[in-house]
Amino acid sequence: MTERTSSPAAADGLRIRPLGDIDITPISSIDEKISGRYRPEVWERQIGYYLRRDPEGSVVAELSGEVVGFMLGEVRSGEFGLEEPTGWIEVLGVDPAHRGKAIGRLMAEALLGHFRELGAHSVRTLVDEGAEELRAFFSSLGFEPSSLRPFVKTL
Amino acid sequence: MTTRTTSLPKSFHDAVVKWREAFLPDYEFLLDNWDKHFPNDPQFELCAYRQLGMCTEIECGELKGKPKYVRAAEMVPEQAHHLLGAIRAQASTEFGSIQQHRLTLARAQDEGEQFWILRMMAEELRHGYQMLHLLAEDDWSSVSKDSSSEMIEEILSMTTGSHVLGAFNIDFDSFVDNVVFCALIDRVGKYQLTMQRQSAYQPMAESMPQMLREEAFHLAAGVVPMRRWVTSAARDEGFITMDMLQRAINKWMPRGLEMFGDERGGGTNVRFGLKPMKNAEAQRLYREEVEKVVRDLNLRYLRARLPELSLAEAPRVLDRLLAGEVTDGVRPEDLLRLPCSGFLRRRGVGAFLMVGTGGEPYDDLSDYLHHLAGALPEAYRVGRDFKDYVDALGQVRRGELTAEAAAAQMPALRRVGGACPCSKSVRWVVDAEAAPSTAGA
Repeated sequence: MTERTSSPAAADGLRIRPLGDIDITPISSIDEKISGRYRPEVWERQIGYYLRRDPEGSVVAELSGEVVGFMLGEVRSGEFGLEEPTGWIEVLGVDPAHRGKAIGRLMAEALLGHFRELGAHSVRTLVDEGAEELRAFFSSLGFEPSSLRPFVKTL
Repeated sequence: MTTRTTSLPKSFHDAVVKWREAFLPDYEFLLDNWDKHFPNDPQFELCAYRQLGMCTEIECGELKGKPKYVRAAEMVPEQAHHLLGAIRAQASTEFGSIQQHRLTLARAQDEGEQFWILRMMAEELRHGYQMLHLLAEDDWSSVSKDSSSEMIEEILSMTTGSHVLGAFNIDFDSFVDNVVFCALIDRVGKYQLTMQRQSAYQPMAESMPQMLREEAFHLAAGVVPMRRWVTSAARDEGFITMDMLQRAINKWMPRGLEMFGDERGGGTNVRFGLKPMKNAEAQRLYREEVEKVVRDLNLRYLRARLPELSLAEAPRVLDRLLAGEVTDGVRPEDLLRLPCSGFLRRRGVGAFLMVGTGGEPYDDLSDYLHHLAGALPEAYRVGRDFKDYVDALGQVRRGELTAEAAAAQMPALRRVGGACPCSKSVRWVVDAEAAPSTAGA
């Protein structure tokens, strides 16, 4: 994946680059700003996983050298009966102080480009029914509701 | 994105497998437990990857815009000579790091961390294999009197003490070294690979993307355990203290800086289109990145030590501590600090100057050695690398040796391999009918 700089709609100086080990603290901080929870061990585990799997399958957005957003994902095959390579966007976050700057869109475009390079013809994600903002975000990117529905049973 | 997978000719491939059996004996154990620690990850494969569809025009230097070279013979001799030196050095580092890691791998206290390092070792083997592939696939006779076979044999016969770069001639003392090495020295590798991704020599550039992907995990194999260790240290749990980590950082950081080459050099590589940055520029970016790593470790430590600290407060408290203030029972010396660039240098600007971790100059050798005793791991100070350094430093101080001459003799070459039949070097395994004529016993 090549690095991308901002489009006219985005903030000046925005840079999208692949995930790295140095992003653990800033991603943990963005999560804390959004969720109010400090849980670095979760991000150490998660980022270790994504770096191991495909470091270019996850991106961060940098503005003036500061990480202001992240999007983690990968291409997998054979899950839920989906044999073909499928891109999955699994976790994303944008610093609340930097929302409205098309950061999420730019990260998604970078990620989708990478998924295409890896041979994926579709990309999937799961969004909670109540997460209106997230639904609107994915809809604006062209995502549509899928017939594949999640089922859960409490144990 | 298309990747081509290739193997070395059988005799060379078998030689690498033989090397692996000698220096990476846990390889089969790794594969047997792969699914337990890395579920759903593709199984490791010893092969060379070449990414296709990359830029075919020279990306930097005097020949920017011209077609990249696909054969060494297309390059002017000086250019090919520099390239060959880079390939041999890169190959040496890959094999060298495995020899270092194996010494202390078994001392890991956490199985997960141990398997991360073991996987990293296997991937370093593949990186070495990738470099040997470059040597084997091209004809280097225009710039080397040695055949590809001889060059490969030389690399596979190197051991700790005879590798090209200093960082790979230092024995590990504990599993702390395995981890700190990944965080600091593999990070230099990331910079070198990133620069070589733009190499004017197309096979080199095409070799880099997969190596870079794997290197990203190697850095995590260093940073993630370090983050866990500083958390445990803050809670007075575990056996690894901040002081132990600090000493390991002091041990490795000077070697990391020197891996970029002399700060005054690197212009030739840029001019020839082999790298986009001179040594000093790449070294500066590297140091800035390590500063971030250390700051993040300190923040992690601080928030584990003072759980009531908020996200906004933590950086402010850290800055006060770094400025020398004692805060909420945390002392400035409880934190990690990056030694200054002049500390413990034996190459480049400031080689064999007596500079302390904080940048303070020393005039008296015994005072400086006393400072080093407080800054470096004890196990390292009783080893041969430190002894060589102190001997050379003493000669420089007494005027018996110039700093340049002392730099040139480090690391001391102690090749145990070679042509001698009783050597411990890895020899070619000759069981292929069409083995190269250079294959030995």
